[in-house]
Amino acid sequence: MELDVRNLHPLEIRLLRYVSVGEEITAERLIKELEYQIGHCNQAFSWLSGKGFISEVSRSTSIWYELTDYGRKEVDLGTPPVRIVALLKKNGPLSLPEIAHKLGLEKSSIGSAFGQLSKAKVCRMGEGNVAQLMSEDLPDELTIAASVLRKGLEGLIAETSLSAVELAYIKKNSKKRGAADSPFKIVEKEEVIYSLTEEGARAKQALLDAHITGEELGSVTSALLSSGDWKGRSFRPYSLNTPSARLIPGRRNPYSEYLQWVKDKLVSLGFEEFDGSLVENEFWNGDALFMPQFHSARDIHDVYYVKHPSHAKVIEEPYLSQVAATHQDGWTTGSRGWNYTFDHEFTRRQVMRSQGTVLSARQLPKAKVPGKYFGIARCFRYDQVDATHGADFYQTEGIVLGDDVNLKNLLGLLKLFAEEVAGAQEVRYVPGYFPFTEPSIEVHIKHPVLGWFELGGSGIFRPEVTKALGIDVPVLAWGLGIDRMALMHLGINDLRELFTPDIEHVRLRRSK
Amino acid sequence: MPKIEVHETLFESLLTQHYTDDALEGIFPVAKAELDGHDTDERLYKIELNDTNRPDLWSAAGVARALNTYESGALCTYDFFSDEKVRRDSGDRRLIVDASVEPVRPYSIGFAVNGKVVSETILEALIQSQEKLCNNFGRKRKSIAMGVYRSDLISYPVHYRGADPQVTRFVPLGAEEEMSLAEIVEKHPKGQEYGHIVSSSPVFPFLHDDNGEVLSFPPVINSAHIGAVEAGDEHLFLEFSGPGLDDLLLAASIVACDCADMGFTVLPVTCSLPYDTPYGREITVPYYFQKPQTCEVAYLNKTLGENLGDQEIITALGRMGIKAAISDSVITAVPPEYRNDFLHAADIVEDVMIGHGLSRFAPILPSDFTAGRLTEAEELSRKVKDIIIGMGFQEMMYNYLGSRREYIDNMHVSGDEYIQIANPMSENYEFVRPSIIPSLLESESVSAHAVYPHQIFEVGKVAYLEESDNSGTVTKNHLGILASGPEAGFNDLNSYISTLLYFLNVEYVMAELDDPRFIPGRCGKLVSDGRELGIFGEVHPQVLESWNITMPCITCELDIDQLLICREHL
Repeated sequence: MELDVRNLHPLEIRLLRYVSVGEEITAERLIKELEYQIGHCNQAFSWLSGKGFISEVSRSTSIWYELTDYGRKEVDLGTPPVRIVALLKKNGPLSLPEIAHKLGLEKSSIGSAFGQLSKAKVCRMGEGNVAQLMSEDLPDELTIAASVLRKGLEGLIAETSLSAVELAYIKKNSKKRGAADSPFKIVEKEEVIYSLTEEGARAKQALLDAHITGEELGSVTSALLSSGDWKGRSFRPYSLNTPSARLIPGRRNPYSEYLQWVKDKLVSLGFEEFDGSLVENEFWNGDALFMPQFHSARDIHDVYYVKHPSHAKVIEEPYLSQVAATHQDGWTTGSRGWNYTFDHEFTRRQVMRSQGTVLSARQLPKAKVPGKYFGIARCFRYDQVDATHGADFYQTEGIVLGDDVNLKNLLGLLKLFAEEVAGAQEVRYVPGYFPFTEPSIEVHIKHPVLGWFELGGSGIFRPEVTKALGIDVPVLAWGLGIDRMALMHLGINDLRELFTPDIEHVRLRRSK
Repeated sequence: MPKIEVHETLFESLLTQHYTDDALEGIFPVAKAELDGHDTDERLYKIELNDTNRPDLWSAAGVARALNTYESGALCTYDFFSDEKVRRDSGDRRLIVDASVEPVRPYSIGFAVNGKVVSETILEALIQSQEKLCNNFGRKRKSIAMGVYRSDLISYPVHYRGADPQVTRFVPLGAEEEMSLAEIVEKHPKGQEYGHIVSSSPVFPFLHDDNGEVLSFPPVINSAHIGAVEAGDEHLFLEFSGPGLDDLLLAASIVACDCADMGFTVLPVTCSLPYDTPYGREITVPYYFQKPQTCEVAYLNKTLGENLGDQEIITALGRMGIKAAISDSVITAVPPEYRNDFLHAADIVEDVMIGHGLSRFAPILPSDFTAGRLTEAEELSRKVKDIIIGMGFQEMMYNYLGSRREYIDNMHVSGDEYIQIANPMSENYEFVRPSIIPSLLESESVSAHAVYPHQIFEVGKVAYLEESDNSGTVTKNHLGILASGPEAGFNDLNSYISTLLYFLNVEYVMAELDDPRFIPGRCGKLVSDGRELGIFGEVHPQVLESWNITMPCITCELDIDQLLICREHL
């Protein structure tokens, strides 16, 4: 297998290039020789062992001493015995409390320091309980303290680097825990010795062959660019397969995006969009569509009624009179009508729009001839909400008006929708039934994924619908059931999810 | 849409040729039928009929008749129909309607059959016809109720009259003891289901024979004696009651044709009515009452986009069971006895289309050129969405119906201007959304698990009461945005609003607002040229608490329709 060493980190590269097979590789050595920080060593060891380029040889624990803040103060001011000697030399004999007070030290530390001094015969307790200086030469034991403290300033002191006397001092003046009043803290360090593996040696060779030094440039910074320091140097290649961090972008809702796509399709086919109010009345919701007022789909169990105002103030004339007459006896539409007494109170009753065709009916009085119109309308049905029924949902509907539009045009239009909107190649037409169209056609399509299904219903508006609304030309009416395609497009199978309030679902949802 | 179940043996005995399931699926569209399933264990075809105006198709005999006629082009003939010229012999079989029933349910008609033993399968078929005719076509028995009785137990004439609900008693089907009509309405399951049709009347419809033996309490329940038809019976009386004569005559004709097709002999019954009808006071049932429908050949061909010859038209209609003649370029179509769905020449066009074969019409695109166009509100909405998304917001879509809790209680508002549904199916969908803000807060209440910050919006419709409109309501296009997160605060909200309105080219000022949904002093109205564009603010902790939201939320709602007006002068 070809070793890919381009993605190694500079810390790994420099280590690999520096060491040879058989050598001990330790943190201490890298710190000293490659000027790594201890953190760098740990990272390099971890990554390289993970790759199998180095392996652990042995592991041992060593003791180190770290200078504490207390110790640092002693370096600056001197140790208590040294300070006592200096004070007595300057002031003459003093009592221990006076010494403690003047040096700002605890009585207990003065006590132990004075003990050391008297034992070394530098001081003694004279008359009147005052300390007197006997000699100015400090014993080795006390001068060693100063040198060890200074050594501590340079960093951790390895136990192995200390002489016997130094060790004796430091052991006495260090603690493992609670070292706030000790000059040194004991630190146990685990030292691991690694060595280069065969694989590591191959990696090293590969680095050498590729002239990768670990000195390649990392981030491109503004300073780098303005200084021009990048010139003549190479850039470290980055790993391409590192998992990316998650971004939460501002984004369209895929369902609305799909509806927008359908709208754009229809506009591109020459259709003009219409829209309307969510609250409708029985007149436009049913009567104008020549659905008899006793039609079963107009039952209280199919349509939502508005509580207040329960009725519209007026219904637009002359349409009300014309539609009422058409229901009763056909008016001048050539129909015999439904032969019942039209209820003028019922027709004003307000409902939540239950079918998109309402908008087609409302468009008729103001439609242009020729004209093509469409709308994607939110509709409401009295239905138990489940995976296939929503309390409110979209219907896509439209009309085509023209002096000479006919059944074959309707079939042509349906074929166009099948191909353009549903991406279907195979289309089948079957006779259908809608109260407001005659003839009525259902179009079934063979969808590339869903197989055969009903794409939509359509027909030619009954003259009872068009003539009563003042239109004398034939009107093709169609509706597309795009919800199934939308669900497939979004990869979901429950209508309720189209309107989910769950932010995470919507954030993650994507379309096909 | 009616769905029926048809027994294989019965269906096959009625059909003139054998069909595989695939063949049935192929031919069914001529009857606007769909094969819903074929249960080979129960030996039942499940058929869905799509034409709610063709009750003649809602039975095995009806579907078989449509297929047979379509395949052969030969019209069915039935010799038991009377009409305005011919009155068939009804022997001593009479049904006398008494004027006392007029205020509650004025009409009852009927006919009898014999000559065949009622099998289990035929009984099921009859019960199904009764149910479909009365429930789907007869509006749950309101306009048609059908009763089947044991004709051999009846002493004609049968009497239909108004009866005192307290005094009149009999043993109804499904009961052991006599009950008064009033008790039936109150206690009997059928009375509880259908009693409301007549219960407001002082008299109830009542059907009994000449000896006073009870047939039924139409439209509610048969008697347990004459009204208890069983397999093995050979003589049946079929009766139809309701408020409109034509519906009853059609229903009787359909059932009579079905019975004849199943091998019964139809025995007419003369019905005497105490009121004038278009067909006189004595009607011998089954009675053909339909009128011919005319249709100009030119209109037909223009509508179909074809140029069909007279013979093609007559043949096509024949396959649909319609006898037609053409003279002076006008088709006169005589509806078959079992159909009454021709209201307009357009209805003839459709039958020609199906009879001729829909697949023979080639699709052609409309030739008129028209310019496509979106609504102005849609165009502006798209612009708004682009800007909002550019600021990092996720578009949401919500239902437009919600509960009192969501729209009113949780929002700490009165809801006086909200549109309420009079007949909600559940309290979850009782109000029309007056604002997008409750929808956005609902998202927050269910999305605490989603990584913060949240920035969400919707462009959609809201509706609320508006006295000045004809409907007393108004529907508006709104934009609602909401941001939520540990850092969400008023300054961000200000930035979102100023950024959006800058790019929309709308000048605005902020005015103070007193609104319980927001923290006082941290909310406002957006006003442009004296026009209120919307509101914004930090959502009040009392509102957040009601929604169980524990993250600060800022929100803004703008009226897109107002924005449109503000931008008109640009």
